Amino acid sequence: MARRMRTNRRQFLEQVAAWSAGVAASAPVFRIAHAEEDAADTARSLIAVAKGKDYEGLVAKVLEPLGGIGKFVKKGDKVIVKPNMAWDRRPEQAANTHPDVVKALVKLVLDAGAKEVQVVDRTCADRRRSYRNSGIPKAIESIGDKRVTCPYFDERKVVPVKIEKGKVIQEWELYRDAVEADCYINVPIAKNHAIARLTLGLKNIMGVMGGDRGKIHRQLAESLADLNSVIVSKFTLIDATRILLRRGPQGGNLDDVKVLDTLIASTDMVAADAYATTLFDLKPEEIRSTVAGYEMGLGEINLDKVKIVNV
Amino acid sequence: MRPPRLGWRFWRRFSQVVFLLAFLWLFRETELRDEDVPGYVNIAFRLDPLVAASAMLAAKALIAGLLLCLITVGVTLLFGRAFCGWVCPAGTLLDLVGKVMRIRSRRCNRTFNSLKPVRYWLLIAVLLGAAFGFPLVGYLDPFSILNQGLTLAVDPALSWSSFVLFDWLYQNGSEGVTNISEPIYAFLGEHVLAFERASYTGAWLMAGIVAAILLLERVQRRFWCRYLCPLGAMLGFIARLTPFGRRPAKACAGCLTCEHTCRMDAFDESHRLQPQACTVCMDCVTDCPNQIAQFLWFLPRKGRPPARAAQPVPMELSRRAFLGACAVGVGLPAVSTAGRAAGVIPSNVRLLRPPGALEGDEFLDLCVRCGECLKVCLTNGLQPVMLQAGPNGLFSPQLVPRTGYCEYNCLQCIEVCPTGAIRPLDLAAKQKFVIGEAVFDEDLCLPFAEREECIVCEEHCPIPTKAIRLKEVEVETADGQTRVIQEPFVDLDLCNGCGICENKCPLDGAPGIYVRPVAEEPSI
Repeated sequence: MARRMRTNRRQFLEQVAAWSAGVAASAPVFRIAHAEEDAADTARSLIAVAKGKDYEGLVAKVLEPLGGIGKFVKKGDKVIVKPNMAWDRRPEQAANTHPDVVKALVKLVLDAGAKEVQVVDRTCADRRRSYRNSGIPKAIESIGDKRVTCPYFDERKVVPVKIEKGKVIQEWELYRDAVEADCYINVPIAKNHAIARLTLGLKNIMGVMGGDRGKIHRQLAESLADLNSVIVSKFTLIDATRILLRRGPQGGNLDDVKVLDTLIASTDMVAADAYATTLFDLKPEEIRSTVAGYEMGLGEINLDKVKIVNV
Repeated sequence: MRPPRLGWRFWRRFSQVVFLLAFLWLFRETELRDEDVPGYVNIAFRLDPLVAASAMLAAKALIAGLLLCLITVGVTLLFGRAFCGWVCPAGTLLDLVGKVMRIRSRRCNRTFNSLKPVRYWLLIAVLLGAAFGFPLVGYLDPFSILNQGLTLAVDPALSWSSFVLFDWLYQNGSEGVTNISEPIYAFLGEHVLAFERASYTGAWLMAGIVAAILLLERVQRRFWCRYLCPLGAMLGFIARLTPFGRRPAKACAGCLTCEHTCRMDAFDESHRLQPQACTVCMDCVTDCPNQIAQFLWFLPRKGRPPARAAQPVPMELSRRAFLGACAVGVGLPAVSTAGRAAGVIPSNVRLLRPPGALEGDEFLDLCVRCGECLKVCLTNGLQPVMLQAGPNGLFSPQLVPRTGYCEYNCLQCIEVCPTGAIRPLDLAAKQKFVIGEAVFDEDLCLPFAEREECIVCEEHCPIPTKAIRLKEVEVETADGQTRVIQEPFVDLDLCNGCGICENKCPLDGAPGIYVRPVAEEPSI
């Protein structure tokens, strides 16, 4: 199975002339501006919620109110699908995104004409064990399409990115393919987390961070908002098919898992997180990263101002 | 036996290369990739009768997995020391090194004749040492030395140097360069290099030992095999019983080409080929000027006396040397015990051993220093012990959590251990096996020392119900305010000492939590 990365550097080189000169001293820096563009998007205030046992079918269903996958993925796009597969845990232990959800999403992305799809996460436990035990690479392989790969995170392939709106982080090394992607799709699982209380859409960005990412735990919420201002998810699909109520983010105890058979999708990550928070009987304002995201202008925290469509 | 097409030399070399590649391939398989580590990766050690004899003498029990070595014994009974000439990867490497160094030794083949019995001394010392509690097999078995050399020195050197080269090209090269270099690096990563770049304590020492053995080839061909290898000595002892031999058994007077060119100097004073030294390389058959030499079985036939019975093969070992070797084999354990009692040699040193490891000396008795567990450990956490545990603990494995932790769902070191020094626990038992216990260093750990929140160890603790948990405590900050923070604590009833907390502790340098060996016997 080819899980190594195939990287096309052409685009990247066009953007940063200094890079090809091979000058390590003048580190290339990205400036990304599409946060503002997306702010005007009218679909922002919409959350789609779908319930059902057939997780594969559920993915297409939950995306319908948002306008379907075709609205986000164009023919020839390079797409990053970012699930959570950071822990050496099985799907039923609710520490990683469900493989059926990722598989269904990738299938849709491929059908929409994507040129390259990469499913990737920087793991916390051993990357080989985490990838295998998550069941995601196997599910992706079963699609049998060469356009999709499930490479390990390559710590060399990061670029420093300037975070202009950053409140606590002004620059960080991020996974280059995620920075360059035409379409970045965020597929977190909703689960408990010891510091953040919950880990949802905003926190999933940590899987494309290079460097010593543990350091941001000191001001986690603000850091997460900062990072999400530069890598903007086209949409966030929160996997709440089963959620981890306690002892997150790693879990491992099936008593801590609650099956909800629910998917939540929105182009507004903050709103999606806010809605997912209610599944844990918590208020959106109790999650610091959601508040920080709202304050950053990444989305709406007040669910009364959001249109919720149940499908 | 008539020579096959292409000649004996071709087929012997072919066999040597095949087995060397097989050994290297098994080495490469000894790590997790897309598939599980196959159970056969340790087969070289299970085919090794010296490892088997030493481990069983030490355990005073039959170890079923090691009975595979009877195949090697059987082959030796049929063909003499053909294993050394046709199979052993260490022997092949020595032959290769000799070729590369283009040795045209003018030294007489007999210069070191007096060293010939040394391998028997070593063999006796290994076996008696094993029986009496000071096993030497790990330091003298060619497979152990070779595999440890690959694991500790060669493989990391290869990985790191490739990484430095290709990363430099990647960071500084133009697109044209990286379009070539990156696929090469990807190919190497897939097929040649280790999955993760590892590094080990004692790498230089091991590199030196391996280099020394290879360089001995400069002194004399197959120096190691002729004079030192205890496995070769053991096989030679068995080879004395084989009916397989050369005709003519003696080098022909007036020619002696075979005797002078023999890589093993296997001819005795009366020019007779000695089966305990001959590795059946067949060079003397191929190069015989008169083409009269051949190997065949001397089977008893009517009208012909049994060849071997008429010609008992002498040992190259005097009674005095035999007794001396016995004294060393028994004496080493005695000296070691005395040294421990006197406090000169460390005794009862408790270390963080691999999960399932036998207790204390029992573990050291059975550990043949094959290096398989060091190689297969997912996190590079298993490291060779130097002299902390005394001279008989050298190169045995210990967990060094700051380097790598014991992965909760992983059983690999257990699965590759050829002797059972690491007991074959199942996953549930392994997860409960206590390697050590985690303790906080409250002078360093952030929530204690700085009154700052940090939960990294709790987050990573893999125990489903968490051996590290958090409690809310009210603390006073420097400016006199009080606030509530989460403070971690260890539940020693649940902690198995896997060390991930120490490994992931975000403090630079010394960690705020560390794993120490438990004082009492751990339970399974």
